[in-house]
Amino acid sequence: MRVLSLIISLLALWGVSTLFGSEAHWQIDMGSFGLEGVVIGLKATALANFFALLIAIGFFSISLIASKYKLSKGFYALLYLLLVSLFLIVYAEDYLLFFVGWEVMSVTTYLLFSYDLSREALIKYIVFALASAMSLLGGIMVLYSASHSFLYTDAHQGFIALSATLQVIFILLMLFAFFIKLGVIGFHYWLMDSYEQSSDFFTPYLSAVLSKMGIYALIILLVYVVDIHMISGTWLAYTLAIMGLLSSIIATFKAVNEDSMKRLLAYSSIAQLGYIVTVLSMADGLGGALYHSLIHTLVKLLLFINIAGIIYMTARSKFSELGGLIYRMPQSFVLLLIGIISLAGMPPLAGFASKFLIYTTLLEGGNLLILSAMLFASASAFLYIYKLIYGIYLGHPTSKRYETIREVPLAFLIPQYLLSLLLIVAGVYPGIVIPYFNTILKELRLETIPFESYTILGSEMASYNGFVLMSAFVGVFVLILLFMLSLRSKAKEAKDRFDIAYCGEVPDEGTHLHYGFSMGKELKRVGFIGVILRNSSSVFYDYISRQLFGFATVFRKLYSGNLSFNFNIAALFALILLWWGLR
Amino acid sequence: MIILDLALMLITAYFVGFIYYGLYRNITARFQRRIGPTIFQSFYDSIKFFGKKEAISHGWMFYLGPIIMATGAIMTLFFIPFFYQSESFSGLSGYGNLFLVLYLMLLGPLGNAMGVGVGGNPFGVMGVTRGLTRLFALELPFYIAVVAIMSISQSADIATIAGSQTTINAFAHPLLFIAALFSFVAMMGQSPFDVVGAPVEVYSGPASEFSGKFLSLLMSQSAIFSFAKLVLMVNLFLGGADGFFELLWKTFVLFLFVIAFGAIYGRFKTPQSVDFLIKVPTVIAIVGLIFATAWGN
Repeated sequence: MRVLSLIISLLALWGVSTLFGSEAHWQIDMGSFGLEGVVIGLKATALANFFALLIAIGFFSISLIASKYKLSKGFYALLYLLLVSLFLIVYAEDYLLFFVGWEVMSVTTYLLFSYDLSREALIKYIVFALASAMSLLGGIMVLYSASHSFLYTDAHQGFIALSATLQVIFILLMLFAFFIKLGVIGFHYWLMDSYEQSSDFFTPYLSAVLSKMGIYALIILLVYVVDIHMISGTWLAYTLAIMGLLSSIIATFKAVNEDSMKRLLAYSSIAQLGYIVTVLSMADGLGGALYHSLIHTLVKLLLFINIAGIIYMTARSKFSELGGLIYRMPQSFVLLLIGIISLAGMPPLAGFASKFLIYTTLLEGGNLLILSAMLFASASAFLYIYKLIYGIYLGHPTSKRYETIREVPLAFLIPQYLLSLLLIVAGVYPGIVIPYFNTILKELRLETIPFESYTILGSEMASYNGFVLMSAFVGVFVLILLFMLSLRSKAKEAKDRFDIAYCGEVPDEGTHLHYGFSMGKELKRVGFIGVILRNSSSVFYDYISRQLFGFATVFRKLYSGNLSFNFNIAALFALILLWWGLR
Repeated sequence: MIILDLALMLITAYFVGFIYYGLYRNITARFQRRIGPTIFQSFYDSIKFFGKKEAISHGWMFYLGPIIMATGAIMTLFFIPFFYQSESFSGLSGYGNLFLVLYLMLLGPLGNAMGVGVGGNPFGVMGVTRGLTRLFALELPFYIAVVAIMSISQSADIATIAGSQTTINAFAHPLLFIAALFSFVAMMGQSPFDVVGAPVEVYSGPASEFSGKFLSLLMSQSAIFSFAKLVLMVNLFLGGADGFFELLWKTFVLFLFVIAFGAIYGRFKTPQSVDFLIKVPTVIAIVGLIFATAWGN
């Protein structure tokens, strides 16, 4: 089964790569099946190919670590079904197939979750997934009422033909559906538990690929239906920008306070997707959104696989139970370091490229407050990023077990090496993906990103050279290293982990030294951050659930389990219906 | 040629940075009615420590921390042009921009945080946590001001921003300048935002586990980084410089302000400084931004 999954993932990669540049198109008129005027089809557009590539890369990465997990045949079957549904979503040329793909994706994800999740988390997920699907269906129906076609090509005509109120209703329904999938803050209630409890094998895919379907759906909505040229200054643009920014800022501070590695990264996912949602509020923002989607997919695959390796070796998933693993797992440490540097968007790695593109877009568009807020969120991310690497690898080991633990198996390291290589290459050549993004943008009749060479990214207002940056960085680093090595001084190695300067005292076994895992606690004392940290969207959803429960008791009183009583009620209803029908 | 240019930039920043640091100690002493050390004392200390033995080693990452931090400081310096017109002393600024510099400035603290973390000293990590917390707070008003300046100059190129100021930005957009100054005081690690290093009395802070040549490296990078930050502020708000004399007096005036500010005020706790920075300077910056953009139209 494991080999099969690897073969299938390679086939998927190969299949997607053959579609690049091709104009593959398949369309069928459902009239012959008794559905007059309904045309459905699949089309390999450049945009679809890009997201299909993300799906394939993600699947390839997790199939490499599959050998370390005992997964049943049913799990694999569902995984392949999920893969099919994802490809259906991206290659669909109409909202009917898109909806089918969306629904299959939601249900297969539910079934995959059912292997690992608690009952409560499962219910949360399925309720939200169904709400998303129903809302999507409603939106599609509203659009169909005007366009009388499911095809994306007719969607814009249909959208314009809608009355102003229906337009608003349509957009709200669609946004609701996609925001749930993206886990935009306020709609992320299902997401935390699902990420935390799902199999470590599946979480990378969940964060890196499944959430990107929300981005893809949003792009489809904005480009094909609403027409992104007309978006600036509308309420839709403000909604996207504000929701995206709120996601980025709130999720960043929420992440700082998490003790579970997977929950921290789940919040980080929300924050990063927030950037993409924000930048999609601009007509020129699609390039940055695509770039950041790519980087986020690579980074989150890397980070979640790294953490999967840690959990595999230690069977612990909390910062408070880990620590001090750096010299036991040096390779994992360096790989995580590459991951977090990219996640933070630090030069000289690729994370900076995508963020830079987003920033210049915002600057040129004159959205200065949005830009400042985004820079702020990005700088705040340092806290949770440091917590991630400190809690696992630095500080003090919290258990004696960790003194003899070994490096994670090769199966975990290989995908991480491949992904970090991609991140480094894209850091040196930040312009390497721009020509392909420009084909996408041209196809969608949007303004292209200025392209000079593979090493240069940017426009007239600002640009940078990734190659010079990387060479200078490596050069300076090596020179300082050589200088320090040339100074002869030999320090004695610390004999044990208590060999530290500790305010004149001598720490022992009972001293609590892995201090940093609880960093971020003091933020509760800061005004508005405290407000964010103390409040939770669960209050709202708990209220809704209580009200629904109360409402349901009314029906439970009617359906009391007393058969004769129920029969009488049913008969009464039947009589009323009969009378109404005859009248 | 570029190598020579970079080397000269580095040497200038190293010496001027240390002399400024000596002046800081000296002037602060005069504020407190002490005589204080000589101006070159910190410089001598730095040279001396390069030859000293370290107390202890915590493995390779412990050593890489200060090296990454120094790399971050020097990279920041290389991407900031000293003069807005001249070819020499422009370093690599033609290959980068202000966004890059803003991010390079964050590289050092993160690198050092790794080294401190692996040292396993809880007091070091305490300093790092405080530092990162202060970092995001001080960045907020600074970013708003910088973004407004970029928008006014319609460029993210530092030399262009410096050269395009007919009236210097500090006077043309005083609110932005004031907001950025608050952040700048915090960036320089000055009181009231100096709880990170807590330089005098508390045995904590990022440097607590380092000694010998690595302590010296930390001191040197701090001097270089301070000078780089001063040059950046001069470029952004004080109209840049056209020669060494102009650069030195402008940076010195700015530096003197920071010292004077720090000598007067007591220290904030971390949450207090975060609270202050995301309230007062941020509001000033936002008002300044609105003024500046309304002015431009």
